[in-house]
Amino acid sequence: MTRLLEPRAIGMPLERLDGHAKVTGTAPYAFEHALRDPLYLYPLEAAIARGRMTAIDTAEAEALAGVVAVMTPRNAPRLAADDDQELWLLQSEGIHFRGQLVGAVIAQTPEIARHAAALVRIAYEAEPHDAALAADRDDLYKPEQVNPDYAADTDEGDVEAALAAADVAIDATYTTPMEHNNPMEPHTTVAIWEGGVLTLYDSTQGAHSVRTTLAPVFGLAPDKIRIIAPYVGGGFGSKGTAHAHDVLAGLAAQMVPGRPVKFALTRQQMFWLAGYRTPTIQRIRLGAGRDGRLTAIVHEVIEQTARFKEFAEQTATSTRIMYASPNRRTSHRLAKLDVPVPSWMRAPGETPGMFAGEVAMDELAVACGLDPIALRIRNDPAADPQSGKPWSGRKLVECLREGARRFGWDRRAPNPAARREDGWLVGMGVASSTYPAYALPGSRATIRYGEDQRYVVRIGAADIGTGTWTALTQIAADALGCPIEAVRLEIGDSALPHASVEGGSSGINCWGSAIVAAARAFRGQHGAAPVPGAEIGAEMPEDPEAQRFAMHSFGAQFAEVRVNADTGEIRVPRMLGVFSAGRIINPRTARSQFIGGMTMGLSMALHEESVLDPRFGHVVNHDLASYHIAAHADIGDIDAVWLDEVDPHSNPMGSRGIGEIGIVGAAAAIANAAWHATGIRIRDLPITPDKLLA
Amino acid sequence: MYLRPSMVEEALAALAEGGPTTILAGGTDYYPARVGRPLTEDILDITAIAALRGIGERDGALRIGAAVRWTEIAEAALPPSLRCLQLAAREIGGRQIQNAGTLAGNLCNASPAADGVPCLLALDAEVELASARGTRRLPVAEFVRGNRRTARRPDELMTAIIVPRCAEAARSTFLKLGARRYLVISIVMVAALIEAAPDGAIAAARIAVGACSAAAQRLPLLEAVLRGRRLASGIGCLVAAEHLGELAPIDDVRGTAAYRREAARRLVARALDELAAEAAA
Repeated sequence: MTRLLEPRAIGMPLERLDGHAKVTGTAPYAFEHALRDPLYLYPLEAAIARGRMTAIDTAEAEALAGVVAVMTPRNAPRLAADDDQELWLLQSEGIHFRGQLVGAVIAQTPEIARHAAALVRIAYEAEPHDAALAADRDDLYKPEQVNPDYAADTDEGDVEAALAAADVAIDATYTTPMEHNNPMEPHTTVAIWEGGVLTLYDSTQGAHSVRTTLAPVFGLAPDKIRIIAPYVGGGFGSKGTAHAHDVLAGLAAQMVPGRPVKFALTRQQMFWLAGYRTPTIQRIRLGAGRDGRLTAIVHEVIEQTARFKEFAEQTATSTRIMYASPNRRTSHRLAKLDVPVPSWMRAPGETPGMFAGEVAMDELAVACGLDPIALRIRNDPAADPQSGKPWSGRKLVECLREGARRFGWDRRAPNPAARREDGWLVGMGVASSTYPAYALPGSRATIRYGEDQRYVVRIGAADIGTGTWTALTQIAADALGCPIEAVRLEIGDSALPHASVEGGSSGINCWGSAIVAAARAFRGQHGAAPVPGAEIGAEMPEDPEAQRFAMHSFGAQFAEVRVNADTGEIRVPRMLGVFSAGRIINPRTARSQFIGGMTMGLSMALHEESVLDPRFGHVVNHDLASYHIAAHADIGDIDAVWLDEVDPHSNPMGSRGIGEIGIVGAAAAIANAAWHATGIRIRDLPITPDKLLA
Repeated sequence: MYLRPSMVEEALAALAEGGPTTILAGGTDYYPARVGRPLTEDILDITAIAALRGIGERDGALRIGAAVRWTEIAEAALPPSLRCLQLAAREIGGRQIQNAGTLAGNLCNASPAADGVPCLLALDAEVELASARGTRRLPVAEFVRGNRRTARRPDELMTAIIVPRCAEAARSTFLKLGARRYLVISIVMVAALIEAAPDGAIAAARIAVGACSAAAQRLPLLEAVLRGRRLASGIGCLVAAEHLGELAPIDDVRGTAAYRREAARRLVARALDELAAEAAA
C-alpha cells in the first residue's frame, strides 16, 4: 500500500492563492507579458479545403507602413521534422484544410498586421475535397490504436449469439456533433528568437510537452527552447498539445531576431486552428435477460480524423469497463476528411461515449421495466471486465444511491410524461460517470530551503484555471510537514523541473507525487531543521499498485428537466453530481471543477454544435453568438458532492483526478430526464426545442 | 471621414452632399460585422446629437429619439401599452449591448430577427425620417421592407420613432423564443397588444410575429377574429394555423421552418393567454 500523507492542509477549502492576482489583473496571461518592443502577427489562412497555392502576391501588404515582414512558404525559415503534419507549416504550397496557416504578416501594431493580411492575394489550384462524415462511407478504416494508446477494437465472447438469445435487446444509433473547446483565453503565443534560443510565452497546458514537441520541429535541442506559462485562461484539452500557431509564431520570430512576436488567435480562428471534438455516430446494441442482467454489449463508433494527421478519439473505451457482461465488442472506425485535425476536448472518449452508452442503458431499463438505478446496480462488475484486475475503489453503486437519496429519486414516477406543471412537462434522469486515473511518467520536483525560511518548491506544472497553484501548495505543505505560508511554489515554466502535461485529469496525481517524493527525500537528507540552501530533487516514483489495480473514478449524474409542452423549450432547474474520486485535495477548487464539468455537459446536451458546411469544409457558426454555449440563465441549481474516501492505491495523497469526470454522463442524464419528461427519446445531440416538439 | 456632429442639421447637410454612407448609433450590429477591418467608408456617428436623445411626449404621441438606447427604454416610466417594448429591451443581448444599442438602429439594421420590430408593429408606430429636403413619417410596416432592406433614402436620417397614444386600457406583452435562455438570436418572437373594454370585449388587437419571415408581420386575420371577443381565459385557443398564413419561415441552424410555424402559433396563443390572465388579475 502506498504511504499516505497525513492530511492537514489537504482537504482544506483554501481560497485560490492566485485569486487576488487574477481579479486585480496582475496575473499575466500569455499575451500580457510586458516585453520590450513587441511586434504583432496576423496569419494568412487558406481559403480552400484542399489543393495548393499557385501564386502569392504580397506586394501591397509589404508596401503598407508599419509592416515589418510578410512570411509565406517562399521565404519562411525551414523546419526540421515533418512527422507531425499539423506543425509542418509553410514548408510547401499544399493545403489540407480550409483555414490552414499559410503565412503571416508581422507588423508594428495588431491592426496593421490584420489589415495587411487582408491585402495579400493568394491564387489556388483547388482539388475536390471531402468533409462529410457518414456512417455508410465505404472508406472507413480501423486505426492502429485510439487515443492515447488503447486497442481500436475488442471482442470477447460471442455477442451475436448472445444478442440472438437475449430476452430483451436494444439496438439504437446515437450521434454527437462536432464541438469546440472555446476556453475564454484564446490560444496565444509570444515568440522571441535570440541567440539561437526560442522563448515562447504560451497559453498551454504543458510547458514541457510543448517544448518536447517543438524542439525537433525547429531542429533545436530541448534546452534551446523555453516555454513560459504561469497563468492560463482555460484549456479543456485544446491547449494540451502544441498547435500550428505555436510554430507560426516561432517561424516569425526567426525572421525578426530579438523582437517579441505576439500572436493571439481570434475567436473565429479557434474554430479551425485549435482542435475540436470529432462528431461521432455510435451504434449500441445491448442484450439482457428479463431481470436486466446484461448478456451482450456492442458499441461501434464511427468518427472522423483529418487526412493529413490522425487523431482517433477513444469513444468506446468506457464501455469496456462500465458494466458486467460475458459478451462484449467495441470498435472504432474513422473517416479521413479534408478538415482540421480533431484533438482532446474535456474527457475525450468518455464524454461522447458515455452519452451514447448511458442513454442506451436508460432505454434498456425501460425495456426491462426496471428503475434505471436498479439496472446499473444489477450490472455492476466486481472486477474490471477488461483486465480482470480488482478495482482500486469502484463506488459507482454508492454514488448512485447517495445521489438518489439527495435528489429525491423516490419521487420519480415510473412512467414518462407523467408530471405536468403549468404547461411544463417535468422529468428526472440519471446516468453514470467514469474517468480513468491516468499516471503520466516523468514529473520531477525540487525543494530548496531558502534564506527566508521558506521552502521553494519547483515543478513545471500548469494551472489552467483548475487550482494547481493552490492544491500543489497544500500538498507540499503536508509533505514537508510545514504550514502553507512556508511554501513558495514555482510552476508554469519549462526551465523548472520536468512536469507532465495537464491532461487526462492526471496533473495533481503526477505533480503531487513528485512533490511528495522530493519532500520525503529532502527530510531524509536534510532533516526537520535544514540549513538555508539545502536542496534536493526527486522524480515521481513508479506506483507498483498501478499494475495490480484497475483505477477509475466513478460518479452518478442526476438531472431534472422541464420541457415546455407548447414550444419544446428545455430548462434544467436542478442537477446533482455525486463523485467518487479519492481524496479531494481542495474542496473549494474541486467543487468548481465538478460543477464546471457538469455545466459543460449541460451545454453539450442542449446547445453545442459546430455546423460544418461540407461544401467549403468550414464551420459556419464560428463565433460565440451562433455557437451556443449555455448562458448563465440556462443554469439552475447545480450541485456537486463527493464520497468521503481515500484511494489507498493511487498516490500518497489518496486522490484521483477530477478535471474531467464532471462532464462525463451529464448530457446523458439530461437526455434521459428529457425522455422521462416527454416520452420522446432524443439520440442526437444537441437536444434543441424543435426535436421535442414532435 | 468619421463625422460626429452635435446638430441634426449638420448631419443632414453631410448626407445631402452624398457624404457618409453608414450611419452609426450604438454600433452593436456594425462593429461585430466589421471587427478587424479598417474603415473604408465614411461614417456618420449620431450619438452626439442632443436632439436625438430622450423619450418624451409630443402632439399626444410618445417620441423616442433615434439615439435612445435599449437600457433607457427598459428603465423609462412608460404607459402599460408599451410593456412589450420594455420586455424586448431586456432581451436584446446582455446589459452592455443594451447600454449601447438603440431601437432606431435595430430598425435600420432590419434583421428579420430584430426584436424591436414586432413591438413597434403592434404599437402602430411610425418612424420619422429627416433630410435636407424636409421630414416625413412612415409606418414601421412600410419602413421595414425585408431582410436588411428599409425605405430610408440615402440622404435621410431616422430622427425618432413615434408611438401613438393607445387607449388607457391597452396592455401589451412580448415573448421571445430562443435555443437558449438568454443572449440568443430569436427563433420566434411575438408582440401582442390588446385594448379591451371594462366588460372584457376586445376593441382592438394588434399581433405581430418576428423571425418567421423576411420582416416581422402583423396577423390581420387573427386580429379580425379577436375583435369583439372577450379577453378571458382560453382566448389562446382561438389562434389557428391559418391565421399565420402571412408568415414565411425558413430552415436555419436555429430551427426548422415547420418548427418555427408551430412554435409561432403556440407563442401567440401564450401571449394572448398572458394578457387575459393579467386582465383578470
